[in-house]
Amino acid sequence: MRFHIITAAFLWAAFVESRKIRGISSSYKRFYRERKSFLCIDGSKIIPFEQVNDDYCDCADGSDEPGTSACPRGRFYCTNLGFRPHYIPSSRVNDGICDCCDASDEYNSHARCQNTCWNLGQKERAYVEGQMKTLDEGLRLKQQLIEEGVLLWREKQAQLRELQRAAEDLQIKLEEHRKRKHEADRLKEQTLKALKAGDRDVRPESSSCGFRHQNSTVSHLFQLLDSNKDGSISLDEVKAKVVLVHDETRVLSEDEALTLLGGGHQMDLSKFQNTLWDVLTRGDGYKIKDAHSAPGGLMSEDPHLKAADRAAEWEAADLKKVEEAYETVNMEISDLQKKLEIDYGTDWEYLFLNGQCYKLKVYEYMYTLCPFNTVSQKSTAGTEVSLGLWGMWAGPAKNRYSQMVYENGEPCWQGGSRTTSVTLTCGTETGLRSVKEPSKCQYIMDFETPVACQPVLKQRGVHSEL
Amino acid sequence: MCCWFFLRRMGPVLLLWVAVCLSGSWAVDKGNFKTCDQSAFCKRQRAMKPGESPYRALLETMELTNTRLTLQLINDNNKVRLLLELYRLQGNITRVKINELKPLKPRYEVPDVLIREPPTEPLSLLSQDENGVVLSLGAESQRVIVSARPFRLDIVEGRDVLMSLNSRGLLGFEHLRMRKDTFSYKVTSTVASVWDNIKRVFSSQADPEAENKEGTDPANPAETAKEEEEKVEDGMWEETFKTHTDSKPSGPSAVSLDFSLPGVEHVYGIPEHGDSLKLKTTDSGDPYRLYNLDVFQYELYNPMALYGSVPVMLSHNARRTMGIFWLNAAETWVDISSNTAGKTVFGKMLDYVQGSSETPQTDVRWISESGIIDVFLMLGPTPRDVFSQYASLTGTQAFPPLASLGYHQCRWNYNDQEDVRSVDAGFDEHDIPYDFIWLDIEHTDGKRYFTWDPHKFASPKEMLQGLQDKKRKMVAIVDPHIKVDTNYKIHNEIRSRGFYVKNKDGGDYEGWCWPGSAGYPDFTRPDMRAWWASQFAYDQYEGTMENLYTWNDMNEPSVFNGPEVTMHKDAMHESWEHRDVHNLYGLYVHRATAEGLIERSGGVERPFVLTRAFFAGSQRYGAVWTGDNAAEWDHLKISIPMCLSLGLVGISFCGADVGGFFKSPSTELLVRWYQTGAYQPFFRAHAHLDTPRREPWLFGPENTALIREVIRQRYTFLPYWYQLFYLAYQTGEPVMRPLWVEYPQDPATFALDDEFLLGRDLLVHPVTEEGARGVTAYLPGKHEVWFDIHTFQKHNGGQNLYIPVTMSSIPVFQRGGSIIPRKLRVRRSSTCMEHDPYTLYVALDNRRTAEGELYIDDGHTFNYEKKELMHRKFSFANGVLSSVDLEPNAQFTTKSWVERIIILGASKPSMVTLKTADGENQLEFDFDASMSVLTIRKPGMNAGADWTVTLQ
Repeated sequence: MRFHIITAAFLWAAFVESRKIRGISSSYKRFYRERKSFLCIDGSKIIPFEQVNDDYCDCADGSDEPGTSACPRGRFYCTNLGFRPHYIPSSRVNDGICDCCDASDEYNSHARCQNTCWNLGQKERAYVEGQMKTLDEGLRLKQQLIEEGVLLWREKQAQLRELQRAAEDLQIKLEEHRKRKHEADRLKEQTLKALKAGDRDVRPESSSCGFRHQNSTVSHLFQLLDSNKDGSISLDEVKAKVVLVHDETRVLSEDEALTLLGGGHQMDLSKFQNTLWDVLTRGDGYKIKDAHSAPGGLMSEDPHLKAADRAAEWEAADLKKVEEAYETVNMEISDLQKKLEIDYGTDWEYLFLNGQCYKLKVYEYMYTLCPFNTVSQKSTAGTEVSLGLWGMWAGPAKNRYSQMVYENGEPCWQGGSRTTSVTLTCGTETGLRSVKEPSKCQYIMDFETPVACQPVLKQRGVHSEL
Repeated sequence: MCCWFFLRRMGPVLLLWVAVCLSGSWAVDKGNFKTCDQSAFCKRQRAMKPGESPYRALLETMELTNTRLTLQLINDNNKVRLLLELYRLQGNITRVKINELKPLKPRYEVPDVLIREPPTEPLSLLSQDENGVVLSLGAESQRVIVSARPFRLDIVEGRDVLMSLNSRGLLGFEHLRMRKDTFSYKVTSTVASVWDNIKRVFSSQADPEAENKEGTDPANPAETAKEEEEKVEDGMWEETFKTHTDSKPSGPSAVSLDFSLPGVEHVYGIPEHGDSLKLKTTDSGDPYRLYNLDVFQYELYNPMALYGSVPVMLSHNARRTMGIFWLNAAETWVDISSNTAGKTVFGKMLDYVQGSSETPQTDVRWISESGIIDVFLMLGPTPRDVFSQYASLTGTQAFPPLASLGYHQCRWNYNDQEDVRSVDAGFDEHDIPYDFIWLDIEHTDGKRYFTWDPHKFASPKEMLQGLQDKKRKMVAIVDPHIKVDTNYKIHNEIRSRGFYVKNKDGGDYEGWCWPGSAGYPDFTRPDMRAWWASQFAYDQYEGTMENLYTWNDMNEPSVFNGPEVTMHKDAMHESWEHRDVHNLYGLYVHRATAEGLIERSGGVERPFVLTRAFFAGSQRYGAVWTGDNAAEWDHLKISIPMCLSLGLVGISFCGADVGGFFKSPSTELLVRWYQTGAYQPFFRAHAHLDTPRREPWLFGPENTALIREVIRQRYTFLPYWYQLFYLAYQTGEPVMRPLWVEYPQDPATFALDDEFLLGRDLLVHPVTEEGARGVTAYLPGKHEVWFDIHTFQKHNGGQNLYIPVTMSSIPVFQRGGSIIPRKLRVRRSSTCMEHDPYTLYVALDNRRTAEGELYIDDGHTFNYEKKELMHRKFSFANGVLSSVDLEPNAQFTTKSWVERIIILGASKPSMVTLKTADGENQLEFDFDASMSVLTIRKPGMNAGADWTVTLQ
């Protein structure tokens, strides 16, 4: 039934010309062809045509009163010749406030509205022109940045591959060096064992480590200390020959020497063997001056051992170097991988921002945004507060890259932590444009950059009804 | 807002706060506020138990003039004499005043609260003998019986005792005295006490003689001094609470009196408390306390003092409503006990069946720290009578500018002009009306009131003009604490004029508040108030214009480092101690500010000032809100009894922070709060600095739509709200009222405080339960019918009605028999709706009649006082709806017309005819048979015209 009514209405409409109906756009004129009755656009009701725009709301959809404020859900069309046409809610018709720049909404009120459409249009056109220019320039820059981004991405990838290769090389090297060191250590031990074998008669129960308890060296060491060769070690002789392992340059104090001598002023060989010798060969507190280590010093006289020892030392040092290099390279790899894991946009156009920081002063605070890293605030008093660490892209599905979120900044009073939401807008330069804190601990930043420019914006222009 | 934010900024206190936080205690720290036991005078007075009063009326001292009776009372324990004054006031009010006959120095009598010296009516002596006198109270066979020994007063009507004073013997009056531990006193007191002891032995043996002697010997102050021997108790001459010591230079000075109310089971009033409408008995705990305090995160359902005090209690039973107005501005405690309170309904029934029931009775006892006893017994008998009696004493609600009845958007804080601009734009974008946007303390230059932050609010006039262009307004906060800063003009002027409150040693009193160290202007001084008012002039308060209004917060006064977060009681207001005037301070701040706003417009424009602290009479100066509540369901619920209690004692313009100040509301709570707040007189959303933003459009399109809808509903009812406020201004009747006010004989209504009436004609039962699927509303009146305002469904009165609810439901009913004018064209602000047409909602009662009113004026000036107004009465009977002029002498024209008449409960007419001075014409109409709703299309007559619409 409704379908028939609507069809009938359309047929009818074809014959009758409409007079000027206030508040409608040209595309809606077909609904308001003058005739005996008017069908609400939603089809809910037919009313006499005189009741269109008679300042009483008859249609539930408000379609009978496009030009008055009578309907709660109605809308009024501002033609705005010279500017953008647009709809305003019916409630703004004749409310004493100029809403349409062509003043058409205040046709029956005290408000004295000027037609400002031309000026607005000029401004709008200039603005849009500026925007277009910005957009063009922005898109050009963006293209560059995309190209750079791609290059940068490739460069980083190459860098990564290089690093990974280096790491592989280093790993091979590392294996080699480990082998070599092992070999050198073995050689040294063998030499030492051979040496020890010669001393076996004095102290057969020598320890496996091969660096301690060699009886011949007991007497040897005793003689070394006994400068005046009187068969006992004196306080002065200890002070002259014994030093701290960790501070070779300092001469021992009287008390320290006295302690080493077991409290007495003299020490004979047998006592030495049971006390001081132990202390010296342990090598963790005291040692003989100028000796690399007590046993080493003693054995340095053996040329084979000396050579083996030096070789082992070299190999150890080399291994350490390689290990360090390997670690560094691995760290670089993981840093780079982490960086490359971040989503830099479909063309890696946001990649160049990583590593940059942008600052803006707002009232008493200096704000710093380091994209993909941190956001912080520094007061004039000087304390710096973290407003968040890189979280994620948070734009709407169709424009994911329009917003960034930084989370887990410094904790707040009412619980939770500071967070910052950064909106990216199109501009020819890259920089922070505004910072706000609408609620405590929730920051909002505007960040302008060419890479946020979207070609779709180009479609927007000035439409005006002529 | 409370001191909490300030505290957290202070390093040392910070740790303490964290500790409190960790201990899991969120709410008020009760230890910061005194219990009765910790308040020496309350403890002393409360220790006095009911029994025979030591006071005796000396009938031979009675003097009766045409307007008053005076009589001396003597305390037989200490021989101190009091002077009783009794007045019969016009409008069925009896005033009882008791002071010391000869106090050492004058005692404080509260000024500036009564609107004038109340006019009296003649008292006449009916009979007199040695036991007492009987006086006639004029009309209605009312008598007052003064019994001599012990002294008591009974007010009697016919055979019924309406009220008795000192019937439990709790009259207490601590006379002023010399301090005993001074040297000179000690000498005399030793002598005196010896003499006294001798006398005492003598008098106890020969009591009648002593009495005779008293009788023949008129008051002798010297003797009185000698007679007394009272033990000095702790806290009489010095009192310490926490780290604060009160020096009490005048010593003990408390007054107290008991009132018995036979036949009464329900008492109300004495705001402000976070408690139910019906007051509870206090036998098992502390009395209700009246002492204006800045209570941080107040708890509900207890008798603790809050920001304001109105020492007025109403009693009600099915036969009579009465009021007690205890005019005293010092710290006050009110005890309530009842002989039926403990009984269950079954117990009461049993009593009834067995006939053993004693009459129910409520006993009340007032205790104040200083001043005198000055009490007004408002004898009703109807609720409306009590409202008009109280209004005749303290005045009525200030008639607010129409715009202030719209929606207010507030937050601590809107950060800068850009913030204000974007919030304002948000309302337009989401097509939500609002009238006022508010700025809290952060808008100032370093908490220096009357200034603007030079960076964030660099061009306030530009901002205000931006709002003005949309016919919207702003409120900026001005608190009474003044930053001590020699570069601050306001401070320098107050200091140089000597306008600050003084400390006990005579220097300017200083306390901590928002700005740090602050002085407190002495608002009790008329010259100070005049100066303060002058500061609101446009050339004084820079950056202001006519659409900027004011908010007085922290005017208890709040002193962060003071005892109980307020001023030391021994601070001095010229010759009076702060103790005497404390509860008045906020009223004076409010008054001076309101007067400032009036003056700046040359007396033309109505002011709008919101205050947190208040006293009896504050209704004359503007609006009140319930302070720093919290985003909790219980706080939403309590907003109803809190505002109802204020309305009963004259303060109609009341609201609670929508959404709750502290904490963050769930979306459901926020929406429900908007739905409740939209039907309460003062409708403002507010939020704490630390909470996330909560402008109406931040909770998704569905919730935005819900909030938009309810704010719009508010705006459609603005004509009704305005008319109710005009009525409140004229009569003192509350705008938002408990059901029992309109259904005084229906006991089912006496304790209801989850629903309320707006005027007589709208019944509101907000949804205040989380996850509610339905509410049960009591629809009062056996012969009434009620129409759901949304569906027009008709319900019978005198029943509990279960109403299923969804998130969009706000159960509101229009009373059958009423006509409510509404404006359905909701615009950006109330001012934008000025010339819009009306829709009349005519709800027919069972007799098919209805009545209503329409009040219109310019909405913002005092010209209504010059009768530039329009007041019409609509009535519907016998199928004829007519509009007649209620104020033929008034003059006002309006562009507004009647666009629609909706008749609920109608039957279908065959013809509808409009008759005006211009003639007759037929009107189109539409009849909905399923709901019996007749909609008359576009009658079109001017709202100010005389007309009839006839249904045939």
